[in-house]
Amino acid sequence: MTDIPTPAAASARADSVHVAPAPAQRALALHRDLTRVWRNDRGLWGQITAVNHTTLGLRFMGTALVFFAIGGILSMLIRAQLATHQGAFLDTALYNQIFTMHGSIMMFLFAIPMLEGLGIWLLPKLLGTRDMAFPRLTALGYWCYLFGGLIMLTALLFGVAPHDGWFMYTPLSDATHSPGINADVWLLGVTFVEISAVAAAVEITVTILRQRAPGMKLTEMPLFAWYMLGTSAMMLVGFPPLIAGSVLLELERAFGWPFFDPTRGGDPLLWQHLFWLFGHPEVYIIFLPAAGVMSMIIPVMCRTTILGYGAIVAAILALVFLSFGLWVHHMFTVGIPHMALAFFSAASVLVAVPTAVQVFAWIGTMWKGHPQLHLPMYHICGFFLTFVMGGLTGVMLAIVPFNWQAHDTAFVTAHLHYVLIGGFVFPMMAAATYWLPLITGKARIRGVGEAAFWVILLGFHGTFFIMHLTGLMGMPRRIDVYPDNPEWVWLNLTSSIFSFVLTIGFAMFVLDLILQATLGQRTRRDPWDAPTLDWAMPVPSPSYNFASLPISRHLGQSARDAVLSLARGEGALAGAARGRRELLVTSVGVARPHHVAILPGNTALPLYLSASIGVFVLMMLAGQYRLAALALVPVGALIWVWARGMAPAGDLRAVEVAPNLNLPVHHCAQHSLARTGLAAVLVADGTLFVSLLFGVAFLSVVTPATPPPAAGADTVTSLVGLGVIGIALVLAALVGRLNTRSAAALGLGANLLALAALLWLAFSQMDDPTAHARDALRAAVAGYVGLHMLVAAAMAAFVLDQFRRGEITPQTQGALGAWQMWQHFTTAVALLAALVLIAQVGVS
Amino acid sequence: MRWLALLISGPMLWAFLFSLIYALHGWACAGGSGPEGLDGGARMLLIGVWVLGLIAFIPLLRLAPSGQERHQRLPRMAVWIGLAATIVTLFPVTVITSC
Repeated sequence: MTDIPTPAAASARADSVHVAPAPAQRALALHRDLTRVWRNDRGLWGQITAVNHTTLGLRFMGTALVFFAIGGILSMLIRAQLATHQGAFLDTALYNQIFTMHGSIMMFLFAIPMLEGLGIWLLPKLLGTRDMAFPRLTALGYWCYLFGGLIMLTALLFGVAPHDGWFMYTPLSDATHSPGINADVWLLGVTFVEISAVAAAVEITVTILRQRAPGMKLTEMPLFAWYMLGTSAMMLVGFPPLIAGSVLLELERAFGWPFFDPTRGGDPLLWQHLFWLFGHPEVYIIFLPAAGVMSMIIPVMCRTTILGYGAIVAAILALVFLSFGLWVHHMFTVGIPHMALAFFSAASVLVAVPTAVQVFAWIGTMWKGHPQLHLPMYHICGFFLTFVMGGLTGVMLAIVPFNWQAHDTAFVTAHLHYVLIGGFVFPMMAAATYWLPLITGKARIRGVGEAAFWVILLGFHGTFFIMHLTGLMGMPRRIDVYPDNPEWVWLNLTSSIFSFVLTIGFAMFVLDLILQATLGQRTRRDPWDAPTLDWAMPVPSPSYNFASLPISRHLGQSARDAVLSLARGEGALAGAARGRRELLVTSVGVARPHHVAILPGNTALPLYLSASIGVFVLMMLAGQYRLAALALVPVGALIWVWARGMAPAGDLRAVEVAPNLNLPVHHCAQHSLARTGLAAVLVADGTLFVSLLFGVAFLSVVTPATPPPAAGADTVTSLVGLGVIGIALVLAALVGRLNTRSAAALGLGANLLALAALLWLAFSQMDDPTAHARDALRAAVAGYVGLHMLVAAAMAAFVLDQFRRGEITPQTQGALGAWQMWQHFTTAVALLAALVLIAQVGVS
Repeated sequence: MRWLALLISGPMLWAFLFSLIYALHGWACAGGSGPEGLDGGARMLLIGVWVLGLIAFIPLLRLAPSGQERHQRLPRMAVWIGLAATIVTLFPVTVITSC
């Protein structure tokens, strides 16, 4: 080990992607050292404090499977009710709760967490690293998911579950039409769960961009990583509009701010826009990881390489972007102008092209290879049959006249189940059967899995193919009873019967997994002869994944050839000689070694933080808004403690990564993982801000709304207030670059001054936000900016504290870089918000 | 990072043009154009933005690297994706006038 380098010197040190192999060591000694450092603590407490990606990825997937079962039971209740035309199995109120919860559970508590879990579990193994970028964030995401899901389930048990559909349309969900807490459960519960989605998106993005094995270029990484990179980018941009919409709707319900109330200048269509800005990309967020699974498994099952790697990456890129241009096709019947219908119809048809490119690439791969009909391949065939049919009915629904006819009928229900079960569930079953040996170390028992596949296929198509016909014959969705039309009655009964067959199939699938995990024989390493790094490790996979991290020479080898070399420590960062969790951080493009990140160990902090957020959510649900505000105090305190855990401490000397390659630890490096992570957070945050501005523009321009009352603000006073805020924030952004203690103190003061000026403006100049949507949106934008000022002030205070403790030195930057980034962002959004609000006054 | 920026530049330009033209269309329709269609000025504005947008792809195509290596082909394909999406999804400005 060498002395502590400055960040600039550290950046200049590694100039090649080629890392020399280290001399071989005793594999068992490395294994023992690494296990001691990376394993979870023992017992139940050990499970609570676990931050390891393997544990948490599996836990995400296991929990998602439980929610899938619950959602499936709810679907059984729905089909039991619809089996006959005047079903008395459920009353209307309960039926509404059940179909709402079925959709919400399957989307928010099954599909998204399942794909997050798969990404968290698989990506580090596939990319040749030991963990995700931010292990505590992984754990926080899991606890938020669990607690949010439990809140929603508890509401169902007590009969106060959401009952307005998984899309929560206003005015059905406003305080007048949904007076209980049912809608609040959805708005707060789903937003709570979405913390985990955004957290996962941030760390998946950072892990793929910065933690690939040295020499694994972006253009050569496994396709699953490309799919997950596209997915995480979509999550960063796709979830904020829903979060913005949920916050606005909750503000309307709790405090009467009328964003969606047309009698006070609001518009229910604003909710639909914000919801579907999330809701349609959501379909691709779910599909892309599943397509990534297909691209990984098909070449292995066909003993060949993937056909059209470049074309598939281009198709992913096209899907990521185009999927954000489709949202209005869910709103074709609400009275959108014809030209806009044409924009979105064309985009909806166009998106079939990159989808088809992938399907043809997979078929071509099978054509050039030698397909072997192992169990994963069964599910891949199920995917082709089902998803292609769903895709074709999707093209039908993209055509406006057909959409008008089929809208809100059972045809759409059939279409979406073909897309989601075909495009997600079948690939996930293929993934489970493919990677289970890596999880359990066991080989599967033949028979049950194959039978389960056929039962599922039969049950699925028997249920949903028929539903196309029911829909084309005019039967609406989401109704609990229907007229005694002979053409509907038999089709519904048939769908209900087959839905039970489908459930039996899923039960058999789970039984197959359990049999393998419990009774299966021990499997050999890399049982599929796969070429990728996920199999270049012992089975079941150890907590640290690789005894030494793969380097360029391992990337060209098969997994079977690489595994022994890696186990003997011939890669980078062999063992755990320093007794801490270390991994290698590389550059974005060509994966050049950059520095060594030291990861935190096991901790219960994520549990405490998510529990304190949960208390805030529960206070909001109970209508105890003052207590809810109070509940944010421990949240802030725990975030401070969390950040303290990232402070420079311990041995900061450079680490010998490989022969002749010493790299700094992350405290002494520029462009750390935290910096990349914060950039990802700001992308999501910026999208949230743009969503609010979209609301301002929509209500200011498009909606023929009730005219707002005359503004009570004094123009000169308001401009002076805005001027003070602007000058203070620009000053804070400028002094942040000075890297001195006094600059941090000045930054803190400037942020507090800006915040005080904003509060003064809010209480003296802004109109009552309950009077009109215009004023409500201004208050919401002001609140957004104010919150950012508060965080900026807290970060400046944190930096000041780090100066006091001597943690910021020429070698270590501490939280200075993070504060600077946040401060610049805050200043930019504040200035932009001021300009937009001034322009809005002009338009009004 | 520059490579990644180049990779997403074409689709980003499409996203920008799509949002801008959709917003301008909404603004024009709200500004008094009746259900029978946009008035001449608004329609020409939309067509003008679309054509300017298409022209803006030319420098992107020139910036895209030549060559047949994967890292060279991908940014080029991405610009073409953006251009094709701009043509297909926004051509309605030329043929459909109704608000």
